[in-house]
Amino acid sequence: MGRRTVFRRSMFSGKCVAGTATVLALAGMALGATTRKDLHFKVGKHPMVSINNQYGPITVKAGAPHEVVVTAILHSDKVEVDQSQSGSRVDLASHLLPGSDQNSGIVEYQVQVPADANLTLHSGSGVIHAEKLHGDVSLEGANAGIEVVDCADGHVHARTLNGAISINNVHNGHLEITSMGGDIIMNSVSGPFVQAESNSGKIQYDGDFGAEGEYSFTSHTGNIEAVAPAYASIDVLARSNSGAVQSDFSLEPKHAPFLARSINSFSGTLNKAASSVKLFSFSGKIHLKKRQN
Amino acid sequence: MNCVEFESVLPDYLEGGHTPEQQAHLTSCSACSNLLADLNSIVTEAPALQAIEDPSPRVWNAIEIQLRREGIIREPAIARPSRSGFFPRWRAAWLVPVAAALVIAAGIKLYHPSGAGDTAPVAKQTPAAPQVVAQAPRHKVSTEDQQVLNSVASRPPAQLASYQNDMESANAFIRDAEIQLKSDPSDIYAQQLLMNAYAQKQMLYELAVDRTGGEQ
Amino acid sequence: MTDAKKLQQDKLTEAAAIERAKQGDAEAFEFLYGLHKRRVYSLCLRMTGNPASAEDLTQEAFLQLFRKIGTFRGESAFSTWLHRMSVNVVLMQLRKKSLPVVPIDETFDGDEESPKKEPGAPDIRLAGSIDRLQLQRAVDELPPGYRTIFVLHDVEGFEHNEIATMIGCSIGNSKSQLHKARIKLRELLRTTRAEKARSGRNAKRKPEQNEEPQSGIGEVV
Repeated sequence: MGRRTVFRRSMFSGKCVAGTATVLALAGMALGATTRKDLHFKVGKHPMVSINNQYGPITVKAGAPHEVVVTAILHSDKVEVDQSQSGSRVDLASHLLPGSDQNSGIVEYQVQVPADANLTLHSGSGVIHAEKLHGDVSLEGANAGIEVVDCADGHVHARTLNGAISINNVHNGHLEITSMGGDIIMNSVSGPFVQAESNSGKIQYDGDFGAEGEYSFTSHTGNIEAVAPAYASIDVLARSNSGAVQSDFSLEPKHAPFLARSINSFSGTLNKAASSVKLFSFSGKIHLKKRQN
Repeated sequence: MNCVEFESVLPDYLEGGHTPEQQAHLTSCSACSNLLADLNSIVTEAPALQAIEDPSPRVWNAIEIQLRREGIIREPAIARPSRSGFFPRWRAAWLVPVAAALVIAAGIKLYHPSGAGDTAPVAKQTPAAPQVVAQAPRHKVSTEDQQVLNSVASRPPAQLASYQNDMESANAFIRDAEIQLKSDPSDIYAQQLLMNAYAQKQMLYELAVDRTGGEQ
Repeated sequence: MTDAKKLQQDKLTEAAAIERAKQGDAEAFEFLYGLHKRRVYSLCLRMTGNPASAEDLTQEAFLQLFRKIGTFRGESAFSTWLHRMSVNVVLMQLRKKSLPVVPIDETFDGDEESPKKEPGAPDIRLAGSIDRLQLQRAVDELPPGYRTIFVLHDVEGFEHNEIATMIGCSIGNSKSQLHKARIKLRELLRTTRAEKARSGRNAKRKPEQNEEPQSGIGEVV
């Protein structure tokens, strides 16, 4: 769900008609309904940047050190961007004026920050995209889709009610993801702490459970699927109250007292059991798959 | 030295002054050594009472109102953008303690004192451990749920429906996890589910405020 | 994140919050409240035994603190400052209601609580550790004067000289009242255990006679 999609949706109430849409979208811009705002801030070490948006996407990528560069596209004159800076702390917020709605209130943010910046990004609806960052990143929004790509080392907190969350190539940090109905997809993710929780959203993981980490995936009704290589070094515990659980690996058995009571579970170790993996669901299915390469 | 004399110096003994006479008496007198052991147990356990209960949300509400009245809380000249930094952002401050209380309720349910451990058979006999939380969380939840729903009531119908749906999902998760936990309070699976269920409810409360969108 | 690192981060955040609170920032106040409310409320509840009063006192303590936040210079820990203020608020309240803060009783009656007096009840020692909940209940049953002293010294960790100043009694008085409070607590706890034993919940009664090895917590000798 990229920037363009949101923009298109706002013009055509959900219908996506490719060619016409682009033309009309450009026409919309030509009509002067949107304005572009360019902002530039000088910052010191470990800057803090926060962006608070009600409607519209936010894209943040690593850029040059010591500066924060912002391009904001406002979809109407019924919304403003408030900015403030205090030392190395930059705060931006979309400020809806009377009469605005979920279309006219859209602001699209494109931001570049130093890679070690700490970020707090919020959007009511729209995709939040964070890329190549090393600082602590907090991303949240009721219906926002969240994408985290090529990040490492920091704390990443992603929260959404029904937006989809996709984490790609994120390593060596502390990852906490929570959603209600939104699906959580993790590809090539590892680190000392990786936690994904959902209610009905599905949780998918494809990685190596590395870094001697603690991995915990929990859901209420969403299915959990994890794909790991044969060389994965894990101590795994999986259980679902009423969903089927399945492991493609033959695990070294481990003593786990509660297992006696429930057949919907498996546990055991693989290789050196360096990482701990917990896969818990109330009624979702759980499948630990072996990667085929 | 007899028991009466020993007890008269007991306060000093407890603070560390041990004379040979006192120690001699202790070795020979089980009543006094029992007494000493008991007092030590009490003193050791006492600090655990330091911080175990939270006040209800109304306390913060009252404080905030008064601080505003006295001008101690001052809104800045420009409308503040996001309130990041040390604190997640929300506009309805009263939701904070409620949401937090949910997680605390879950925590209390999970970690209620399970008695004096294996050495005390008395504690083990009680089937349901005493509940520290005075009110059942469920009752609290539905009143607060309603207040939260009211705060998003003015939203477009699609949003409101989606929110109500999420509320039901969150409550269903909590119910399921509680049932699971009841059948075995020491089950780590059930404990994990309950904590997650409450955390989701809390997230729901916090993000609900964002749906009010904009300073209109 | 390790515990130590997190604690450090929390301290930094508290310092930041204090600065912002001085500027009148609502969130900062709320953050500070959140950090300390449990400790303050628990203290008030232990000292008054009444949740409604405890809430009113908690409110009052924080209000007094927040009114003065402009003068906080960071010489001592914020929590210490708040702690003392809370105690003062509670004590003032107790005085206003003419509740006995500390019973003035300089003479120490050795006879009163002689361990030898066991009227018929089996000598059930408080073996092993004490159930925190039972201790909590026993503290709530203490007469107000004893409760104050016990809470201030054993629960909250104030020294006798500090307590003497706060309450306005002598150090000797503080010490002797504390001792009586502890003895009384022991009695209450033993009564609870005895009742439980009598009501048959405990299937077998462990005879806690002389030959039992010492198993109380803490150093005996």
